[in-house]
Amino acid sequence: MRMVNIRAPYSARRVALVLAVILALGFLLLPSQLQSVLQQVGGPLGGIISWPLQAVAGIHDRIAGTWGRYVDLQGVEEENQQLKRELDLLKEQNGQLREASVATERFSALLEFKKQALPTSVAAQVIGRDTGNWYKTIILNKGASDGLQADQGVITPAGVVGRVVKTTASTAVVLLVTDPNNAIAGLIQRTRDEGIVEGTTQGQARLKYIPLLSNARPGDHIVTSGLVGGFPRGIPIGTIIRIDKEEEALFQSAELSPDVDPNRVEEVLVIQPSAIPGEGERLSIPKHKP
Amino acid sequence: MKALVYCLVIIGLVSVHAVLLPHVSVWGVKPDLGFVAVCLIGLIGGELDGLLVGLALGWAMSLFSAQDLVSSAVLKGLVGFVAGFAGRQMVYLSPFILVMGLLVLSCVTGLMMGFALKLNPQQDWWWAAWMVVLPQACLDAVIGGAIYWLMWSRLNVEQLMSESRM
Repeated sequence: MRMVNIRAPYSARRVALVLAVILALGFLLLPSQLQSVLQQVGGPLGGIISWPLQAVAGIHDRIAGTWGRYVDLQGVEEENQQLKRELDLLKEQNGQLREASVATERFSALLEFKKQALPTSVAAQVIGRDTGNWYKTIILNKGASDGLQADQGVITPAGVVGRVVKTTASTAVVLLVTDPNNAIAGLIQRTRDEGIVEGTTQGQARLKYIPLLSNARPGDHIVTSGLVGGFPRGIPIGTIIRIDKEEEALFQSAELSPDVDPNRVEEVLVIQPSAIPGEGERLSIPKHKP
Repeated sequence: MKALVYCLVIIGLVSVHAVLLPHVSVWGVKPDLGFVAVCLIGLIGGELDGLLVGLALGWAMSLFSAQDLVSSAVLKGLVGFVAGFAGRQMVYLSPFILVMGLLVLSCVTGLMMGFALKLNPQQDWWWAAWMVVLPQACLDAVIGGAIYWLMWSRLNVEQLMSESRM
């Protein structure tokens, strides 16, 4: 126990008190204006703060890489065998898919469907995670200066990762598909029933608002419906693991296992909005080819 | 000089929070080192230092999070102000008192943050209290107490507090 002897500088205390009162009033009376001012100032200043963040992330990656290469070699042979088996299986599936792809192209040409363009995207690297505990997000090393904006979809080759919610000049924050505050329009691939995919507090996802008459079942794949949000149609989201039907409920819901493990994502693609064909554009009558 | 140190603290804490802390989280919950830093700065530097550093740190941290920019900045600013005010009123300050103070203040701030963020219905008060607020408050209190104990045992904290407020 020690005694604290402090002399009070009244001017500093008064300034602090006045600032605190102004701040509290601003927070209560003008929250949205204060928010937009802070966001505008945050763009360039966030870029400056992101330099050390990227430097720390780079050092962290190097250390993690070294650890992975030279120290964590246990089980590599077993993993290698497993991967070889998976590769053989995938080669076989690839052959079948090529056949299916050729057939699909032929049928598409016959029906004169407009070929959906592959979306252009920006590749980005994950450099960090959310600085708080309330949301599940990842931080990307690309930002507003690279053309990233809020509401753009973020994917990997395996499926949907999440949605951009905030950008600075050189970074972007992506709300993950497993966050309960995220909502993505989804579609059951087999039954074509639509719903909304949102995260759960257990780190999974669920499809809400499935019609009661739908015969969705565990094992069905969920893809993006392309109706709203920054995703084109057909990007994998997850697989149904359980159907929840409540008595007297208007809809049923399904618990999903996401196709992408958001905790292990390292590189992602951010879909540019101009590249996503709109509903009208997709369904319009194609021009007759000469 | 003090402003430079505060800037370095803010930049360093944002980087550590975003890159390193996710690897040392306990059951998915990370300590809020920004909260601990703002409390200690307020306690040692006074209300004005606490308020300004809290504002800047809260704002900088929310730039790299999905939470809105105002809530975090205002809450951390007020935490710094309260810490400075409490430090000025206190005659005796031992690490134990600091730990208890941090625990209570972190719980109150966490609940206010949960209220300000307007979360999804899945994330109700019960979930917020047990899964985020309380574990985070415990971690904050332990880490803040450890840092203060280190400072207390190696530096003359009282003299530091008196000098910084002259």
